[in-house]
Amino acid sequence: MRVSVNWLREYVDFDCSPDELAQKLTMVGLEVEESRLITAEEFAALGGSGEQDDIVWDTKVTPNRGDLLSVLGTAREVGAVVGRAARVPSSEVVQSGPKASQLINIRIDAPDLCRRYAGVVIRGVSVGPSPGWLRDRIIAAGMRPINNVVDVTNYVMFELGQPLHAFDYRLLRGPQIIVRRARTGEALTTIDGEKRDLDSDMLVIADAERPVALAGIMGGADTEITDRTVDILIESANFDPVGIRRTSKRLGLTTESSYRFERGVDPGVTDLAAWRAAQLIKQIAGGDVAQGIVDVYPSPVSPVVLTVRPQRVNAVLGTSIEPEVMVQILCSLGIETVFEDDILRCKVPTFRSDLCREIDLIEEIGRLYGYDKLPQTLPCRSLQGKDSREGAFTERVRRILISCACQEVLTHSLVDSRYASLVGKENEVVRVRNPLSEDLDSLRTSLAVNLLQVIARNQARGMESVSVFEIGKVFRRVSGDICETRSIAGAMVGNLWRSNWSLPSDALAADFFWCKGLVESLMDGLCIGGVAFERTRNPLLHPTRAAKVLAGGQEIGFLGEVAPEAIEFFDIKGRPCVFELDFEALMRNAPDAVSYKPLPKYPAVHRHLAVVVKESATYKEVRDVVVKSGGGILEEVCLLDVYKGPQIPPECRSLTLELVFRSSDRTLTDEEVNAVVEHIRSSLSDSLGAAFR
Amino acid sequence: MTQQENLECLRKQALEDIGRAESLAELDVVETRYLGRKGEVTQLLRTIGSLPPEERRSFGQRVNQIKEELAAVIQNRRNELSVVEISTKLQKEALDVTLPGRFFQVGRPHVLVETLKRIKDIFIGLGYEIVESPEIELYKYNFAALNYPEEHPALDEQMSFYITDDCLLRTQTTAFQHRVMEKRKPPIRVCTMGKCYRVDAVDATHSHTFHQVDCFTVDHGITMADLKGTLHQFAVEMFGRDVQVRFRPDFFPFVEPGAEVAVTCTICDGKGCGVCKGTGWLELAGAGMIHPRVLETVGIDPEEYTGFAFGFGVDRIPMIKYSIDDLRLFLENDLRFLRQL
Repeated sequence: MRVSVNWLREYVDFDCSPDELAQKLTMVGLEVEESRLITAEEFAALGGSGEQDDIVWDTKVTPNRGDLLSVLGTAREVGAVVGRAARVPSSEVVQSGPKASQLINIRIDAPDLCRRYAGVVIRGVSVGPSPGWLRDRIIAAGMRPINNVVDVTNYVMFELGQPLHAFDYRLLRGPQIIVRRARTGEALTTIDGEKRDLDSDMLVIADAERPVALAGIMGGADTEITDRTVDILIESANFDPVGIRRTSKRLGLTTESSYRFERGVDPGVTDLAAWRAAQLIKQIAGGDVAQGIVDVYPSPVSPVVLTVRPQRVNAVLGTSIEPEVMVQILCSLGIETVFEDDILRCKVPTFRSDLCREIDLIEEIGRLYGYDKLPQTLPCRSLQGKDSREGAFTERVRRILISCACQEVLTHSLVDSRYASLVGKENEVVRVRNPLSEDLDSLRTSLAVNLLQVIARNQARGMESVSVFEIGKVFRRVSGDICETRSIAGAMVGNLWRSNWSLPSDALAADFFWCKGLVESLMDGLCIGGVAFERTRNPLLHPTRAAKVLAGGQEIGFLGEVAPEAIEFFDIKGRPCVFELDFEALMRNAPDAVSYKPLPKYPAVHRHLAVVVKESATYKEVRDVVVKSGGGILEEVCLLDVYKGPQIPPECRSLTLELVFRSSDRTLTDEEVNAVVEHIRSSLSDSLGAAFR
Repeated sequence: MTQQENLECLRKQALEDIGRAESLAELDVVETRYLGRKGEVTQLLRTIGSLPPEERRSFGQRVNQIKEELAAVIQNRRNELSVVEISTKLQKEALDVTLPGRFFQVGRPHVLVETLKRIKDIFIGLGYEIVESPEIELYKYNFAALNYPEEHPALDEQMSFYITDDCLLRTQTTAFQHRVMEKRKPPIRVCTMGKCYRVDAVDATHSHTFHQVDCFTVDHGITMADLKGTLHQFAVEMFGRDVQVRFRPDFFPFVEPGAEVAVTCTICDGKGCGVCKGTGWLELAGAGMIHPRVLETVGIDPEEYTGFAFGFGVDRIPMIKYSIDDLRLFLENDLRFLRQL
């Protein structure tokens, strides 16, 4: 709220400078975000008097403190800070002529949405420009002066926090005011010229025939104050915050009035504000104020009495504040407080509807005592802190992948729903109902796709080679339920050496086998055994360069070269590879602890074997035969070379294997090893038709 | 010439030849010529039978003497030549050491993930158990259980992305509070962290996605002073010993009393600069004592137990630490940016 310091001084005295005061207010919770000087010349340029400078604050009022959306409310807070009471302005006015109740009939048909409705009538006013002092106040508050009647209603709203509305009395049919829900099909043209279609959830002010105002938000154009207006009805009412908020949101219309009603207006100030407006209008626009006020207030609100236990205050704040100090603080806030029988009895004024229970008053005591004066301690009990299981496992995975030359990245979960189609999960995608834009309309189903976008973006900026990974959440809709799971993915393209003058340019290409090697390294680093790779089909991947990853016989992810469609979608140069693994499945398969195996005592025997097999036989098939026929002394099988060429029959390839034999209890003899190798050879011949070179 | 004279002449000749040998190969030839099986010195020894018997002894001794002498001289010369030859060979292997190495682009942690890890470690040190929490959250946990009234202006700051009528993307990690309290009984001291989402257009300082950390504790006798002490301890660990922490009242529906926590601006040391908008303070966290109503909804008696809670945005921390002026850099993943941190 914009608060004029000149105006503030009318209700409270303070000796410190405005800047010091602003700092003090900030420290008790009414933050003064900005303070600026508006010079007399600037006032004049905006249509003001040009008589004096003013300082205007922007205060940041928290949503619970509607009472601070007025100069008087701010003055009350200042009073509590500087130890001086704020002055409530006089609202006395000379009344004459007929009674207001003879001039206007007011009825509330929707008491759930309107707690109180009061009206005063002023006849014979001269509508015209406001005097300089009034224009200055209106300008300081951030509005434009309009005419003396409208300016007064705005003035009183800023002064007391009570939004008012002035009707041209003669244009009200009846003359009657009915506070009711709008009827289906009704419409109202508001003073901003917009025609608004109403529905039955919206509260309107109607005369005998039609809606004349959108309750608490904006008046209607038909009955607004004009130069020709002579008699006026001032409305001062109290509307339900939730109702006002709903209507305001539905119509996309927020006004100074609706803003205040949403945050709660004091039902105790309704009549005072009406009289204050009458007083000022009579003073500057003339006219006669009809006698009395029509005040419909079916269930008056009275101040709440709360009890506060001083020892509880200190138990919550960690302080030892004396009860007398508490009394003093509460009284300075306008809360009448007495201390008797070890208890504080506090009468909370109606303008502080945010104070409902003891804890609210404890905060009041704490904030005015000063948070900076509270001691600083740590909880007495010591507890053992620990990471979550997922958090600890994440760290293990990160460490391995970072050590494998992968750059960690962090990508958005909100993505284009077309990404899901790239991985064939368009039926599982979780959509956002109210996306910011079309390309942020869903949650990611896969991290790998996001990483392709990272590659594309980096390539567009001149970095051809990229190797990245991410650990994060993915979201899917599975048979109606929304699944939120963790995933681990990597993507790479180009060449992994930054400077490669000493190597062939493709020596360390980020290709399928690099990608697979990363997954193997990760599995090895996590001590996960029994890992297998099988050819698979995956919409994101190249149809013949794709593998699923299995651990313990269960599929836990995929890897492979990216399909041309996705490469084209992201406009990537080169042939990127990706992998993606299910975090929970990986964690399930990773042992928490491994035991030590003694180092070998006896030497190993190495043999090479060049196996020529049909290309249709996979390496895994060859290896399985070797391992099975190699028996207990075959320790390791390494693939040294894969060769196709003139010496090899067509549609065949030669696999050069290094076989490592070792026994745990003796040194192996040549004869022993030769016999096993011979057995391996015959098994390969028998089962795969292998020849040897 | 007598045999003796021949012998001395041969010795002189051999020493000269050894001295003239310029390579190990030449030296080998010299050695073979004089000391080999058929070498000249060896041959002389065989002529010993032609000498008068009284001369044989002294001649034999002299031949052996010369043999030993030559062997020693050859060995010396060999050592000398080896040194020269090795060094010549190494000279020829010279490399241009200023050529670049096979530079391996090492992987690096992402600066935000690393910041989260650092924060996590600090809170584990303060006795907090890290718990996981979902990003798709029920309206109930994100708002209702946190004492947000329906249709309240407090919701304006938390515009939500909705998935279904009652499911949304959490707007604050605070949503985990109620979930934890439903399952655990005091003493509770837990922390969670992760992505949060609000309907907010992306610019240098705003994003629809950001990261938060939330902690809370519930126990006998927890006070606001404990909250102050805990956040002070955190700030010292995160920003250094000299940091000052400021608490001032603020409003969050789920805490009472509520506070905004700020730390001295580390860019200007509290003197006031562009980053802190001249105030010398940087807003760090929202905090407060857990509202009794929040405790009551999970059946914890607020008369018996009290608690505090605080939460803060993580993205600002590395922005402050590395003077990063654009929030978007974190999730854009430009390698030239990521590799600097």
